[in-house]
Amino acid sequence: MSQTQPPEMPEISDLIVSFDPNTLRRQAVSKMEVRDQFLRLGNHFAAKIVADLPDQNGILDSESVDRLLIRVHGELQRMSEEFQHGRRVAESLRPILETLRQGNFPKPLRIVDIGCGTGFVIRWLAAKGQCGDDTELIGVDYNSALVQEATRLASEEKLNCRFLTVNAFQLKDPAILLISTGVIHHFRGDDLVQFFRQHDQSSTLGFIHFDFQPSPLALPGAWLFHAVRMRLAISKHDGVLSALRAHSRETLVEAARRGAPGFAIGVYGSRLGKLPIPRVFHSIFGIRPELRESLMHSLGKRKGRLEWFS
Amino acid sequence: MVFLIPILLYLLATLDAGFIGFRAAAGRNALIDKGDYYRKAVLRGVLFGQFAIALIALAGALMLRANAQGENLRYEFLAAGGRMLQIYLPYSGIVLIALALRLIPSVDLRSMTSVLVFGLFVFIRPIVAVAGVVWGLWPNPRWELVVIGGLILALMLSLENILSRSYETRKT
Repeated sequence: MSQTQPPEMPEISDLIVSFDPNTLRRQAVSKMEVRDQFLRLGNHFAAKIVADLPDQNGILDSESVDRLLIRVHGELQRMSEEFQHGRRVAESLRPILETLRQGNFPKPLRIVDIGCGTGFVIRWLAAKGQCGDDTELIGVDYNSALVQEATRLASEEKLNCRFLTVNAFQLKDPAILLISTGVIHHFRGDDLVQFFRQHDQSSTLGFIHFDFQPSPLALPGAWLFHAVRMRLAISKHDGVLSALRAHSRETLVEAARRGAPGFAIGVYGSRLGKLPIPRVFHSIFGIRPELRESLMHSLGKRKGRLEWFS
Repeated sequence: MVFLIPILLYLLATLDAGFIGFRAAAGRNALIDKGDYYRKAVLRGVLFGQFAIALIALAGALMLRANAQGENLRYEFLAAGGRMLQIYLPYSGIVLIALALRLIPSVDLRSMTSVLVFGLFVFIRPIVAVAGVVWGLWPNPRWELVVIGGLILALMLSLENILSRSYETRKT
């Protein structure tokens, strides 16, 4: 990665799959075009990884790519498990759900995980029963192979959740709460504002999106962690790049306020207690303004974790 | 000391093999509740570790038997083992403390142990392994000790690859 530096540098997994944004149908991806794109950016490591992927007449073999992405998500899940991400999401959701229950909103309280991949977060919440019986847990992703794998895994453990290949903002039964993990850094500039703009549907009462938090320790930490934990070259490449592309609190708050003015916006859990030590993950948090007071009450001692909330 | 040094080295090698078993299995099973899977993986690591330890013990026993001054060589083995423990015990102690801290159900604490201890310590493990052997042999690098030290390093450092490869083979 010499010429183009993050955050402009794309991740490999962003380029080796392509979907029609309207129909979500899989589109052919030219291996040489992706490889050459990385070469133009001076990223020979990524170009080599792409060049080694199987193809058919120059088009990346979609089945091989899907198998690879499922393995990548397996490695990502290992990271989520080690960093207790399921528990982190559950702890963040609990006060919001409590607020919604007090507000007597129609049940079920539908939680939708955007870009769920193989569905670790939704499956964890379902397996641990952390959200209560009045919630509905749904994971959505554009990649049907990942959705199928998530469905298979959930079925194997008889979990009460489901996964759909669909645009999260075009669900027949829309989400009450939108969540995601490691998704928002894929949106840059106006696309990030547009992403938040889509949250502003009347049925959606809140959202919480988790991602890496940029800090001086993010690069060495991400590099070290991926060097010792990840086996696949693509996981190592994209994992470190994700940490580097992560948005700052300022960027997230500004984009969310511009895109979703109908929500009170804040950043949740970015610091370790009252210490000036950044957590590995932070989250951009939004809730309808009329629920704000009730939420602060539900947060209790944890309300100090919610910063810049207005 | 005659018993304590080999026993401690055995326990540390077994502990290391258990961790290796865990690491080799991690990231390959995407189910949520997989306690059994990890228990089997740790046991597998420990069993592979016993095989490696047995090889080292056998090599050491053959050397003692073949050496005319067996008692002297036994003393050298113990002295080298004692020095190796000076490196391996603090390393293992920190790992065990971090493991104990993970019993506390705190997202922050568990994340911190991952960042500050488990990731870093796995990264430096090969260096620590080599440092322990070099420190153990330093005062008296006689060929028998060098052979045993080399065998320890070869087995310690290849076990994870061997176990990982066995998972890959199973998959295909």
